[in-house]
Amino acid sequence: MSKSSETPQTNPLREGLATRAVPQACTVVIFGATGDLTMRKLIPALYNIAADGELPPAMTVVGFARRPKTDEEFRKEQEEATRKFSRQTVRDEIWNGFAQSVFYHQSEFHDAAGYKSLAERLEKIDQERGTGGNRLFYLAVAPDQFEPILKNLKEAGLNKAREGSWARVIVEKPFGTDLASARELNRIVHQAFSEDQTYRIDHFLGKETAQNILVLRFANAIFEPIWNGRYVDYIQITAAETLGVEGRAGYYEGAGALRDMVQNHLLQLLCLVAMEPPTDLGADSIRDEKVKIVRSLRRMKQDEIAKNVVRGQYAEGAINGKPVPGYRSEKGVKPDSKTETFVALRVRVDDWRLADVPIYIRVGKRLPKSGTEISVHFKKAPPVLFNKEAVSLDQNVLVIRIQPDEGISLRMQAKMPGTSFRIEPVKMDFHYGTSFGKASPEAYERLLLDAMSGDATLFARRDEVEEAWAFIDPLEEAWVAKENQPGLFEYPAGSWGPEEADELLARDGRAWRRL
Amino acid sequence: MIMPNEVAQTFSPGLPVEIGKIDRELKKLWAESGSEMTRASLINLAVYSEAPGSLPLNTEIIFKITEDHACRAIVISANPDAKENRVEAWISAHCHVSRAGSKQICSEQLSFLLEGPSAKLLPNIVFSQLDSDLPFYLWWQGEFHDPMDPQLWAWVDRVIYDSQTWSDFRAQMQRVETAQGDAKQRIVLCDLNWTRLVQFRLAIAQFFDHPASHHRFEEIERVEIDFAPGYRSTALLLAGWLAAQLHWTLEKDSKDNTLVFRDQSKKTIQVSLNEEAGEPLGRCVVNCGSIEFRVAHSANADLLDLAVEGSNAERKCLMPAGSNDSVRLMSEELMRGGPHRVYLRAMNSVRDLL
Repeated sequence: MSKSSETPQTNPLREGLATRAVPQACTVVIFGATGDLTMRKLIPALYNIAADGELPPAMTVVGFARRPKTDEEFRKEQEEATRKFSRQTVRDEIWNGFAQSVFYHQSEFHDAAGYKSLAERLEKIDQERGTGGNRLFYLAVAPDQFEPILKNLKEAGLNKAREGSWARVIVEKPFGTDLASARELNRIVHQAFSEDQTYRIDHFLGKETAQNILVLRFANAIFEPIWNGRYVDYIQITAAETLGVEGRAGYYEGAGALRDMVQNHLLQLLCLVAMEPPTDLGADSIRDEKVKIVRSLRRMKQDEIAKNVVRGQYAEGAINGKPVPGYRSEKGVKPDSKTETFVALRVRVDDWRLADVPIYIRVGKRLPKSGTEISVHFKKAPPVLFNKEAVSLDQNVLVIRIQPDEGISLRMQAKMPGTSFRIEPVKMDFHYGTSFGKASPEAYERLLLDAMSGDATLFARRDEVEEAWAFIDPLEEAWVAKENQPGLFEYPAGSWGPEEADELLARDGRAWRRL
Repeated sequence: MIMPNEVAQTFSPGLPVEIGKIDRELKKLWAESGSEMTRASLINLAVYSEAPGSLPLNTEIIFKITEDHACRAIVISANPDAKENRVEAWISAHCHVSRAGSKQICSEQLSFLLEGPSAKLLPNIVFSQLDSDLPFYLWWQGEFHDPMDPQLWAWVDRVIYDSQTWSDFRAQMQRVETAQGDAKQRIVLCDLNWTRLVQFRLAIAQFFDHPASHHRFEEIERVEIDFAPGYRSTALLLAGWLAAQLHWTLEKDSKDNTLVFRDQSKKTIQVSLNEEAGEPLGRCVVNCGSIEFRVAHSANADLLDLAVEGSNAERKCLMPAGSNDSVRLMSEELMRGGPHRVYLRAMNSVRDLL
C-alpha cells in the first residue's frame, strides 16, 4: 500500500507487472524456528509465495533455534508441516527448489557465539546466493526471549545493514501485557532497531476485508458524506469464536479476552472504521490517522468502567450440540480463575466525526458461532410517511464481515410484493468468495511480502501500541482493584455471553446484532 | 444447467430459448435452482467467433473461466457468409462449489448462433443482453474485418484478441485502432499474445529488482529468444518490451530474425530470434557481458527455470510458467486488468516487424 523511506530505485521492467512494491532478495532469519508458528504459518506462507512466483529467487530462510538439527532434518520437518498446513498443494519440484534456500542455525538465544557464527553464515549466504546484505529477523518467540535475541543481534552487528541494504525485525504479538511492559518491550527493541526497522505484526490487518475497509470508505464517494454522527447511530464490532482455550490456557490465563483480542485486533479494526482519510497511502500517513483515533478513545474512570464494560467467563454448556466444559474446568486453568473469556465494551471516540456515536465491542470464546464483523447502524428515517406507524422501520445497516465469509452487506427497506403496503428489511450482499473465485493469500503471506518490500502500512507502530495500552490499562486495573471491582459474569458455553452484555446495549435502547 | 459432473461428457450450450424470452427463461432457471445456488457476475463477457463448431468449445472455456471469474457470458457463433438466415439462442449456467464449500456459485451463459444476414444483429443482441452497470469485455476470436461496427465498439470497455492468430498484424491493428478512435471512449486493448508473456516478463524483471543490479541494464549486449513455429510475434513482443522499457530504438538494418537496437548511449544491442519446436516461448537469455540471465521453459512442466551465470554469481530457481491455453490466458488477463500502456509501447517499438 505504501512507499517506505527505503524504497529502492524503480526497475523499469516491473512497470505494469506489479501494483505493489516488489520484495527484495533477503535472508529471513526466524527465531523460534522449531515452534508452532514457524511450522503452521511462516514456512507454509513463504512456500506459497514462492509457488506463486512472487518470492525473489535469491530469498533465503535461516531457522534459528536451540535444538541440534541439520539443515536436511530441518527441511524435512518443515516439508511435512508445509504439506499439512499450506493453502495450496505442495508440488515436489517447487518444494525441492524452495528447500534448497532453507537452512538451520543451532544456538541458544542467549549465546553470543551463536550470533557471531550467524553473522558469518549470513555473510556467506549473501555472497553465494545474492541476498545483497538484506536481513529480515522474525521473532517468533515469547516476549521474554526478545531481550537476549535483540541484544545479541546488536552485539553481532546484525541490526545494522551495510550501505544500500537493510535490516528489519518482525515482532509477534503480544506487544506487552500493559503500557509499562509495552514501553519496556519497545525500549528493548529500539536498543537494537529503530522504529522504521521494526514491524509489529497483527495478522488481522493482513486479512483482505480489513484492507478493504479503507477502499470501501475512501474509494466510494457515497459512504464518506454519511460516515459521521449526523447519520451513523452506532457501530458494533464483534469477534466471536466457538473455540475455548484449546491448549493455550497457560497464555490465556495471564491475558484474557481484553488483552488477547481487544487491545490489538479489535482496536485496529476500530481505527480503520473511525479514522479520517489519510493524506496519501504512505504507511505513516495511514498510521498517523489510526493513532489519532486510539488517542481519542475516551478514557474511563473507575466508576464508569462497571457501566461501560462487561466481563464474562464461560461455564459448562454446548457447542454445535456437543457438551463442552466450563472455562475453570479446562486443562491448565485455575479452578478459581478470574480471567475473562468474554468482554463487551461501550466506547466513545472523542473526535469531530464520531463524537456522538457509541461503539460497542464484544469478543468472546465459546459463543454459538464464529465470526468477526463490523456493523455500522445508520439513523432511522424521519418518523413521517412510512416510518410513522407505531412499529417503526429497521435501520439501514452496513456490515463488513472480516471472517470467515468475507464480504459486505447493506440492509435496507423494501416493499413486500402485494396489494398491502408492507415494508420489510432486505439485504444486498457481497461475498468475496462468490465474486472472486481466486483464493486470497493468507494474512502471513501478505505481511511477509510487505515486510520484505519495506511497506509498514499493515504493521502496528509504537505509538499505536502504547496508546492502545493506555486505554486498556485502567480497565484491567479496575478488575483487580480491591474496592468496587466490577463483576465477572458467567455465561453458558454456546450462548451469546452474559445477560449483562445485553443490558449494556438495552440501556441505550439497542441490541447486539445477530450474527 | 451444466453441472461440474457433466463436464466430461458434453459442453452443450444449454436450453434452447426464443430470443425474446431469454429474460423470462433465465428467471425460471434461477427460480428452479433453489437456495443452494447463488448467481454471481462481475463483468459482461461477450465471446465472438466465426470458427465452425465454436459454441461447444467456447462453452467449455467459459465453464472453466467462471470458476475464478464470475460473469454473464454471451457466447456468439457467427457465420455471416451462410446463405440461409438462422438465429438460435440457448441459456445455461455454469456452477462451481464456492471456496467455503457450502454453496454453488453460478454464472449465466447466453449462447447465440447467427448465420447469414442475421450475423449483422450482433450489436443488437449484445446490447439487449448486457447485465446493467457491469463492465463489458468483448473477446474477439480470430480476425477483425470491415466494417467494424461503431455502435458495438462504443459500448466496449475492454476488447480482447490474440494477435498471434492474425495473418496481417498491421492491417488488423489498424482496424482495431480506427474502431477505438471512432468509439470516442477509452477502450483498453488486451492482447492475449501479450498476456502469454507475463511469466517470462516477471522472470526477467526479477533479475533486476535489486538496485545494485540496475547498472546491468546498460551492460546488456545480446538477447536470445527461442520461440515455437507460429509464435514469432510473441517473441517480437518480448523484444519490443525490453526495447520500450529500456529506451532502445530499432535500427533499420534489422533483419528477419536478427534485430539490432541502440540504447541511449548509442551502444548496439543484438536480439536474435530462433525458431525451435516446443513452448511458444522456449527460452530467453539476456547477456550483459560478464553475466548472463537465463529463463527457460522446463521440459514437460509448467515451470520456468531461472539461472544467473557468471561474475561468481550462480543461482538457479523455479517460477510458474503458466500454460498456453485460452482458459489460462483469459483468466490471467481478467485478473490483471490495468490499462496496458506497457503493451502499447512494446508493440509500437517493434510494430514494423510484426
